[in-house]
Amino acid sequence: MNLYLRELFTFFNDKKTTIVLLSVVFFFVSAAPQIIFSQKKFSKTYPASKNVQLRLTNRTGTVTVVGWNRAEVKIVAEMETSDTSIEPQNLSGTISINLVKDNQGKNKVGYVNFLINVPYDSMVNIETVMGNLNVSNIRGALVRAHITTEGDITLTDIFSSSVSAENLIGDILFDGEVQSGGTYRFTSTRGNINLRVPFNSSFNFVATAPSTRNISLGSFNNPSMNFGDGRRVFGKVGGGSATLTVTNQRGSISFISR
Amino acid sequence: MNCEQYQELISAFLDNDLDGATFKNVQSHLAVCAECAKVCEDCAMILDFCSEDLLEEISLPPNSKALWCRINNIIETEIKPEIVQETIKAEENRSRLSKIWNNSWQFSMSQVLTSILGIALVSSLLTIVGFKNYSAADDQANASPSVFERVLSKVGLAETAREKRERHLKEQQATVEYWNKRVEARRVNWDAHLREAFDRNLNEINQVVIGYDKILKENPQDSISGEMLDSAMTEKVELLREFSEL
Repeated sequence: MNLYLRELFTFFNDKKTTIVLLSVVFFFVSAAPQIIFSQKKFSKTYPASKNVQLRLTNRTGTVTVVGWNRAEVKIVAEMETSDTSIEPQNLSGTISINLVKDNQGKNKVGYVNFLINVPYDSMVNIETVMGNLNVSNIRGALVRAHITTEGDITLTDIFSSSVSAENLIGDILFDGEVQSGGTYRFTSTRGNINLRVPFNSSFNFVATAPSTRNISLGSFNNPSMNFGDGRRVFGKVGGGSATLTVTNQRGSISFISR
Repeated sequence: MNCEQYQELISAFLDNDLDGATFKNVQSHLAVCAECAKVCEDCAMILDFCSEDLLEEISLPPNSKALWCRINNIIETEIKPEIVQETIKAEENRSRLSKIWNNSWQFSMSQVLTSILGIALVSSLLTIVGFKNYSAADDQANASPSVFERVLSKVGLAETAREKRERHLKEQQATVEYWNKRVEARRVNWDAHLREAFDRNLNEINQVVIGYDKILKENPQDSISGEMLDSAMTEKVELLREFSEL
């Protein structure tokens, strides 16, 4: 018995062993929130007609919407708490999920992370109170991403004629095409707005960054631009068939050509 | 013959104007019919009353023609004043109208031209004000006032951009107060993380509002700041409204 205790003492007295043990403990402690996080999982697939619209209202969590080449909508949600309700509705070509309504009156709803696949030509209208919104690979008529408070909005490979992104604190990235006659609106209070559009794009734009006066037009700058006192820049790029309105109260605005 | 036909012959019967056969026929009927006999009796009484002896007792007034003339004069004197009064009133009205009618056309050519120009100017100015009022709100709130707008605002016919913005801001503040009360009631149900996020974001908007408010106090005509303040207040309302539902 004494020998066994002595061996155990020697084992813990060894520095290398202690470090390994501490690392293992640290790993489990740090992984604990993730383990708690995915307490409940929701998954459902709907057959989708052409030009289907996805409407999602989340409370907190990350929403990722990806366009795919299938005529169906697949919704996967991971919930932090088990009593969170998700009740999607599929009515006349619109799939609606409203977590705020579905969980009204509940004190603890927690994070809900969504991964949604929709057909390429879908209209996507998503909003959340808090958390990141990511939309990619969409060619439908509408893409709208709205965060009431804080979170980043990332819109990549978007070919829609009506795009709107709005948050309070967080960055906005739009990487897509500016369609002729389209309307594009990006609004943030504090964060960076980056717009990456093809060099041959054609649009009228008004960019306002009153606090920072940090408006970078990059290769889209031309002599017809009106810079005023630097807080607002407006002008025409190409034929000017689309309309871009970018407002950042306390952050920067950058146009990047691709 | 029936009673009605007999009664029609009674007058002629009493005057002895009927032929013998008819006279006898009527006479025999009156002997058997009480009703027709009563009618005959009444007629006979009337005839008796109108007989010459009675008329002689009711003597005509002396100089009846003169009496009729007097009556006629009295009637005419009572009717005339009313007619005269009506005629006078009508004539007075007519003269007043004709006065106005005549006076209104007593303008010189220059006066007429001036009044036309005045009407044209006022109507065009009102049209401009109307168009301005219906144009975009942000343009309205931020455009520096023209001389005309300043004049209109002085006489109380139009708001200046500043007044308009202040009024709009007051409206927004009232909305903020309303939603704020609702948020306060809901706040106890939120978890600590949500409360922190709300406070952080509200504070961010408040800082923006304070910043633009300061700029606008120094330069009330700063259109961009006015627009940004409006936008920040709208965001604040939206934030409160959405959190009041959580």
